[in-house]
Amino acid sequence: MAEPVKDLNVDDLEKKQEWWWIAEKKRSKRLDYLRKAVWKKGAVGGNYAPGIKVDLELPTLFTQMYNWWKFDPPMLRRAKANAHVLDNITIFITDHAQLVGYMGSLPHTILWRVDGASIVNEELYNEPGIIPEPVEENLKKIADLNSFWAGQTAVDKVARLLDPEDAVKFLSGAIGWGAPTSAYGYSGKDYEFLFAKRNGFSDILAMIEERLENAEDRTIGTPGPDILPLYERIQNWEAMKVILEAAIRYANRYARLARTIAENYETDPVRKEELIRLAETCEHVPAHAPRNLQESFQYDHFVQMLARLEAHEGAWPARPDYYHWPYYNKDVNIDKRLTRGEALDLVGEFLIRAYEVGGFGPRWAREGLQGITGTWVWTLGGVKKDGSDACNDLTVALLQAARLVRVSNPTFGFRWHPKVSDAVMREVFECIRHGLGYPSIRNDPVLVKNAMHWHGHPLEEARTWVHQACMSPCPTTKSGVQPMRMASATANCAKMIEYALSNGYDHVVQMQMGPKTGDPAKFATFEELFTAWVAQMEWIMNTLVRTVNLGRYKDPEFYGRPFLSATYERSVESGLDAVSPVGERGNCWVTFFTWVENADSLAAVKKLVFDDKKYTMAELVSAMRKNWDGNEQMRLDFVNAPKWGNDDDYVDDIMIRCLREVARHSKEIKCPCGNNWPALPENVSGNIHYSSIVGSLPNGRRLGDALYDGGISPGPGLDKKGPTAVLKSCGKIDHVGDGRAFLLNQRLSPTQLAGEKGYQLWKAYIRTWADLGLDHVQFNMVSDETLRAAQKDPEKYQEVIVRVAGYSAHFVDISRKTQDNIIQRTIQGI
Amino acid sequence: MKYKESKNFFPNPDNPQRGDYVERVVDPRQAYYKSRPVNADDEIPETAAEFVKPQK
Repeated sequence: MAEPVKDLNVDDLEKKQEWWWIAEKKRSKRLDYLRKAVWKKGAVGGNYAPGIKVDLELPTLFTQMYNWWKFDPPMLRRAKANAHVLDNITIFITDHAQLVGYMGSLPHTILWRVDGASIVNEELYNEPGIIPEPVEENLKKIADLNSFWAGQTAVDKVARLLDPEDAVKFLSGAIGWGAPTSAYGYSGKDYEFLFAKRNGFSDILAMIEERLENAEDRTIGTPGPDILPLYERIQNWEAMKVILEAAIRYANRYARLARTIAENYETDPVRKEELIRLAETCEHVPAHAPRNLQESFQYDHFVQMLARLEAHEGAWPARPDYYHWPYYNKDVNIDKRLTRGEALDLVGEFLIRAYEVGGFGPRWAREGLQGITGTWVWTLGGVKKDGSDACNDLTVALLQAARLVRVSNPTFGFRWHPKVSDAVMREVFECIRHGLGYPSIRNDPVLVKNAMHWHGHPLEEARTWVHQACMSPCPTTKSGVQPMRMASATANCAKMIEYALSNGYDHVVQMQMGPKTGDPAKFATFEELFTAWVAQMEWIMNTLVRTVNLGRYKDPEFYGRPFLSATYERSVESGLDAVSPVGERGNCWVTFFTWVENADSLAAVKKLVFDDKKYTMAELVSAMRKNWDGNEQMRLDFVNAPKWGNDDDYVDDIMIRCLREVARHSKEIKCPCGNNWPALPENVSGNIHYSSIVGSLPNGRRLGDALYDGGISPGPGLDKKGPTAVLKSCGKIDHVGDGRAFLLNQRLSPTQLAGEKGYQLWKAYIRTWADLGLDHVQFNMVSDETLRAAQKDPEKYQEVIVRVAGYSAHFVDISRKTQDNIIQRTIQGI
Repeated sequence: MKYKESKNFFPNPDNPQRGDYVERVVDPRQAYYKSRPVNADDEIPETAAEFVKPQK
């Protein structure tokens, strides 16, 4: 068993592949301090770590002013309330920090957006351990806030409009998750507007002022229907002004604090100088476009924090090597204002500042995203708008910094394309070899085509894509950027086959959920079963999408995003809220959790019932109802039936047939922008969350067993024919036309991939992966030995990171069931 | 004691009746300075202890 010995030198540690100790030895003192200073916000096995407290300043300040401005229209009212927060919330500057900004009042606090959903608010009230001292007094404060918001949160308002049957089925928790509101948003940022076009907030304020003057002139001019929408838009532009001005004041508060520390408390002349530079940085951004790398990172971080003060953001779409590159290049290569080491410190801190971010999530979200508080998947690499390679020195610096700070959030998704240099690929591989589980590798040419196919993004815009959440590409352009993930369209797909075998009745939540598609015991052919499956699939997609569409349509009224709007070019131009579908091209997707179980289950039934006639449908349905109890030999037969991931056309053809049905339906259902809803199979840790919600299945699974780890990844241990067979199965999918993206988890042997030979083997694997046209793959490269040692002695392995699904987490922060599920994944020899 | 009587109160140049109250905090993981806006004439709550200049 490997014993971590941090006293060894770097060479010895490399031989032992104990990369976390190497990181500690190699990183600067500043990065070491800042990395260890971060409070871990991700829930550990579903529970918050000791010391983490919910922040009550923000909800209290917000509610005070929201109530005060009760007669204002929605966006203006929200802007004034959020401005009050920015003017009054406690701010802090951590020792040694060169970047600032957090959405809570103190480093150990987590954000609570009190205006999102009453059911979340009630859960917070009852969550042990996170109420700050004095507990009784603060519980009273929370109860008062909850009482004020009861019935008027964004989700409460949407729920009142939903068809009652849809609402009950959605809230059952069986068929999907999420909240149909931008309050729990995954907002994309209009990086083209803010960074490529170099607009600071003062520049945007000038644009708004011009629009306002023009609109006000028209509303006192010739009467006509054309001026009527302007009355409401004038209020929205006013709201954008209010929040941008408050944002500049907020940054100036940091500047003032930095100067105060430098001039009154700090005795170290070097730190004094840093604090003065920090003050100058916050005086300049976000008011003006950045002039150097520190200002560029700080501007970006302010934008992200301000968006997070406004809503509970579950994701962090970003492309740092692309948008910050001009400043890195100027500071490091042209002006030589920064050494590479100094720049690396800034890059590392930029990652740490993001890692620090955390908000309160309900238990289902904590279980589904174990160890983290959102999926911060930053996008690296790819191509520029003209199709040339976008990789640069900052791509490399980010990959190197990731190995030094070893955070589990943000992670990276790397846009691979044929022109990526060997030097960059080596840096990518080093991150994977160091066991980070990231970057995930994305096939850029395939995904650019995919963005054009599904949503009609023009080529140049498609090339700007970033990960909107774990997996889904979204442009960072005026008409492409998406203000919310439409997150409730997250389907628990295993219910499709479960309901096809139960006439739409859910035996776990004990209610009729899906349509009545016939008594499965009487199905005489596979086609009858498949027809029932198609109906259940369509019903689940329809129910989720209806809910999310309504939430999006009503969001400007029910929630709305004044700050986000003020950073979107299309909103600044139109005066419409960023969450309005008007002006957006549309970029929706239905996240498909627990997907592969469908193909494996259908194949098993086809083989054992309809082809081999070893069992009858009546026997199968009976076994399902009994959760296989008393039918163990039968269950093993179903486990041993053909399985996805072995290059076996018997089951692979069924997978493709299922996907084609989904793709057909994806074009029949439309988002509020009028665009398509393609499927995106992936899982985060929903496979564990849903293990007690999905009933027994014909792939041999029992109620309570973990589901597959997701996307198009074969079931753990069921891919028996090696990595090439896995790739060949996955290569049968059309990764452009069959869906939006397809997650593939692979475990590789750290021993086999050691040294130069290991790199060459991996590179050849990637070449095959690309040739087969897959759009995604991600790797775990930590040995069973290390993971089992970490289970036994978690204190010694605090920094071991694993890829869970669309995200990474520290291994000790995920549940035992998820840990076991990762260990069970087949280690592929390549 | 009123905020304006504390050495950790820094009045706003544009409005001396308001200002920042700065505190030094050392928590189990990190040390930091925090600041919040206050009214100069308000009483400092007992929980906001005066802090000592850090020793370097």
